[in-house]
Amino acid sequence: MSSVAAKAPAVETPFLRLAREYARSRTALAGLAVLILIVLAALLARWVVPQDPYDLAQLDILDGMMAPGSLGGGGWTYWLGTDDQGRDMLSAIVFGLRTSLLVGVVATLIALAVGVAVGLLAAYAGDRVDGLVMRLVDIQLSFPAILIALILLALLGKGVDKVIVALAAVQWAYYARTIRGSALVERRKEYIEAAQCLALPHQRIMMRHLLPNCLPPLIVVATVQVAHAIALEATLSFLGVGVPVTQPSLGMLIASGYQYMLSGDYWVSLFPGLALLVTIVAINLVGDRLRDVLNPRLSH
Amino acid sequence: MALRDRHWRDRRLADVLRSGIVKPLLPAAACLALLAAAPTPSQAATLTVGTSAEPSALDPHYHNLGPNTRARKHVFESLVSMDAKMRLQPELAESWRAVDETTWEFTLRKGVKFHDGTEFTAQDFVYTVCRIPNVANSPSSFTVYTKGIAAIETPNPHTLVIRTGKPYPLLPMELSTFGIISAKAAGGEAVTFDKAGCKADSWPTTQAFNDGSLMIGTGPFKHKSYTKGDRQVLERNPDYWGPQAAWDTVVFRPITSDGPRVAALLAGDVDMIESPPVQDIERLKSAPNVSLAQAQSNRVIYLALGVQDTPPTITGTDGKNPLKDPKVRKALSLAVDRDAIVKRIMMGVAEPANQYLPAGFYGNNPEVTVATDANKAKQLLAEAGYPKGFQLTLGTPNDRYINDDKVAQAVAQMFTRIGVQTQVDATTANVFFSKRNKQEYSVFLAGWGADSGEMSSPLKALIATPIKEKGYGTTNYTSYSDPELDGMLDTALATVDDAKREKLLQAAVKRAVDADIIIPLHYEVTVWAMKKGLSYEPRADQYTLAQKVTPAK
Repeated sequence: MSSVAAKAPAVETPFLRLAREYARSRTALAGLAVLILIVLAALLARWVVPQDPYDLAQLDILDGMMAPGSLGGGGWTYWLGTDDQGRDMLSAIVFGLRTSLLVGVVATLIALAVGVAVGLLAAYAGDRVDGLVMRLVDIQLSFPAILIALILLALLGKGVDKVIVALAAVQWAYYARTIRGSALVERRKEYIEAAQCLALPHQRIMMRHLLPNCLPPLIVVATVQVAHAIALEATLSFLGVGVPVTQPSLGMLIASGYQYMLSGDYWVSLFPGLALLVTIVAINLVGDRLRDVLNPRLSH
Repeated sequence: MALRDRHWRDRRLADVLRSGIVKPLLPAAACLALLAAAPTPSQAATLTVGTSAEPSALDPHYHNLGPNTRARKHVFESLVSMDAKMRLQPELAESWRAVDETTWEFTLRKGVKFHDGTEFTAQDFVYTVCRIPNVANSPSSFTVYTKGIAAIETPNPHTLVIRTGKPYPLLPMELSTFGIISAKAAGGEAVTFDKAGCKADSWPTTQAFNDGSLMIGTGPFKHKSYTKGDRQVLERNPDYWGPQAAWDTVVFRPITSDGPRVAALLAGDVDMIESPPVQDIERLKSAPNVSLAQAQSNRVIYLALGVQDTPPTITGTDGKNPLKDPKVRKALSLAVDRDAIVKRIMMGVAEPANQYLPAGFYGNNPEVTVATDANKAKQLLAEAGYPKGFQLTLGTPNDRYINDDKVAQAVAQMFTRIGVQTQVDATTANVFFSKRNKQEYSVFLAGWGADSGEMSSPLKALIATPIKEKGYGTTNYTSYSDPELDGMLDTALATVDDAKREKLLQAAVKRAVDADIIIPLHYEVTVWAMKKGLSYEPRADQYTLAQKVTPAK
């Protein structure tokens, strides 16, 4: 996340200042460290875990529902146990994290791009365009995100790509509203008026003058929304409308273990749940700190 | 505030009780008292059953569906019934015989009274058969069981002569599927049977049954009240012709989620539940105050392999359908390790299947076997020209059968091991069945419960060539057609001699299993969990019948 923050002020000195500011909070640093670990594990998934849980040929149903610490038929120990298909839970969680992060980040980036374009246009054009776009945003935000995502996925079908589309579709409105707010403020400032007097093209004013000055709040919203997107994906998969059953993400792992909870086989649900919790808390810690650091009113 | 507090304290206990604050707790308190007072349920005359599904209507002829038939069997009876092992038993008919190939004579039980006190006669049967095709908007009609009847004669009020158009050995079995309603209560005393359609001014509506006004049968229980989604209450019929039920009152409560149903039993809210989830069986076994009853059911879970010219969900074969090659189908059947599925996915609460009905059922052929051999399977694939296998998508419902999508994943794992890369498309039952019925799956997992309890039912429905007039292939979504097998079925279904017919069905099931079109996986095992002290003879047809639940002696 810090690399995203780096691009924001576009000059190097402010970045160093931000980094120093950020490092003042130990909790936030710990959150960042955990997040980096998770991202690394997810990126290097294939090399850090013993099994590819998405390759059915590597699973053995005879190793199903083994308790944490059992020795499996493959010769390695299942440190976190196995699920009913004989999937090593540790491997499944790391691969599930990869899916979750991929979905969260890509969906957020797409939503960010769409939201920024629409919001900026609305703020800059004003009048009818503004009214039309913002009423659209209001309508969308008045429905719960999960409801819209469920309907979209029922229409689109299953698959990681479809989940990304659905999440981007429910999240763009947040960015549109955020950037419109800050763009409206910036638009009345002298430097924009100056640019307009120079008769610079609208596109250039929007992209080179308005956008960079609206970025800080967007970064904060985007960070928190990544966590939100991950939680939403987990919810959708838990409900069985997200990813295919043979490529479980964290939410689906929790769902498939859920029915065993009462029967005492806790590990299938518990460990993916913890992984999800830790990931979301880490992202939120980073996001919170970024908000404090990037807020001009709070600094100094 | 302080004033109000004192006011509260000054009120006497009686006032508090009268005020109604405690009232909502009273039923709970009563329950607790019952529980405490009656550790031996022989004193408790109320039986509360938590069911896994609710009937779609109380009308006995509206919807041919498991929960509806379960509800029906308490209030309405049929001429013939089935015992726990699905063998035919006399019910409202004392005896029956085949007079010749197409004529059956039923002697009706005398002195049987409907719940309104009128006597049961042959006219009630005639009226019932007439009413069945006249149920409005029936989602799944009982006409499949009455269309074999060509004519009915009633020489006297307690004798029925039924003629069939052609030899029809399944007639007594089919007469066990529908309940007989009172002709008098419905105003149908003058209706006569006509194959082309009976004449009557009006037919009873489904609503008249749901509101209880026509719930007049001959069964061991009378209908008392029904609140959809909440409960159906029955009370004992003191004038019942057969053995009296052990319960004065029976309450059926639909609790469709597995977890809450188990919890309701453990908490003592209900005395008995249907199908506890397999993963909870171990826990229930070790619970001190719960006992279990389980029986092999008549339902087989199977894989269907489609032989369409262009396979809908197979890739990597240049558009050809590899499943048309018997060697490939045999390889897929050999790849499946049924014991592993039963042990790991079904937690032992199922039985590996080698044909379409378990041993002991009519038509089961002890000589039919299926094998598991992954190496042989790979070899067969290579011989068939697919040494590197191919890709397929396996369709399955995820909420219809016990652990259906998990079984499908296990099968996918086993297919992938022999080189057939398999994906699982698991969807909710409605979506699955509509896709399956459009033949959008090359391979799918489904189940078949033989409601007749004999082998012609799965053979006719799943693998026979679809022929509408004969009722063949109603669930054959594989495009498979074997005229020779159809011929064997034709012969069997026209043979009235039971022993001869069984031999013919056994030969047919061997041919069907060897074709590897419908690959049997396992038979579901039905489980009931109940309070210790109750006993229930587990039924192969999966029905929960309160009249058969007894307090242990």
